[in-house]
Amino acid sequence: MTDAAGNPRLEQLLADALRPIDPPEDLAGRLETTLSDIASHAAAELSSWADDLTESELEALRDPRNWVRPVAAVAVGSAAAGALVLVGMRRRRRPDGLRDNLERLLRDLRPQ
Amino acid sequence: MSAEAEPGSGQEPVSAAGKAELDRAFSELYRTHLRDVYSYAYYRVGNHHDAEDLTEQAFLQAYRHFERARRESNGRPLRPWLIRIAHNLASNYYRDRARRPEANIEAIEPPMHPHGTERVVEGREELREVIDKLQDLPDDRREALIMRFALGMSNREIARALGRSDGATKVLIHRAIKQLEEAIEAEHAGPEAT
Repeated sequence: MTDAAGNPRLEQLLADALRPIDPPEDLAGRLETTLSDIASHAAAELSSWADDLTESELEALRDPRNWVRPVAAVAVGSAAAGALVLVGMRRRRRPDGLRDNLERLLRDLRPQ
Repeated sequence: MSAEAEPGSGQEPVSAAGKAELDRAFSELYRTHLRDVYSYAYYRVGNHHDAEDLTEQAFLQAYRHFERARRESNGRPLRPWLIRIAHNLASNYYRDRARRPEANIEAIEPPMHPHGTERVVEGREELREVIDKLQDLPDDRREALIMRFALGMSNREIARALGRSDGATKVLIHRAIKQLEEAIEAEHAGPEAT
């Protein structure tokens, strides 16, 4: 401890004043219980997750042949999006149609 | 079922066997350093009740990050890391609850010594004086002395716990002892000397 400063007497006093303190017995037990509860809980969660997803399911997820369904889903989604665009375009065109009808009506009402 | 690691994520999954080994290693760390963390906590907060809380929180936090800490430590001792956790928690303790260490540390009683009665009384007065003067030091100086003398940490360990360089830590400890020495001398010289 002498590399700290050059006062061995004060350093000895400090060492005596700041002695290590033993933790209470029940703290060690309580902490150990808490930590083992956490570990068991984590193990149980890992186990139930593994039960939900079996090895064959995990294998199936990795198999490119099973990617057809997601690809099909993407294709269906794209088609649906295209259809929505068409409907939108028709909706945007509707005011023109109304104007045509109004002009026709006015033409009909106009005195000959 | 060891999954592939995502580089740099720090959250790589571990296998069941790896987890068991990790728990065993943590258990060892906990048993080896429980007294260190508790001593540090006690000298920081000054009472057993809060020291227990602080110790418990420190180990729970350490448990959460243990795998990463072990990986990044490259085999170096983990005591400075544990003490750093306790140090941060103790800082939050004062900040959150607006408590000051001065109020608590006065309650710390000097330890008993197996000497004769007269020497015990005299010795206890001296130790009481050291503890009293210790509380007047700036936080970082006081902490460095707690780490050095209560935990027996080396300069390098203290540097790692405080996030400072080895050289800066050496200077910090030197100044802490010097300041303590001067405070005690001033006390003995009497009020006319100050």
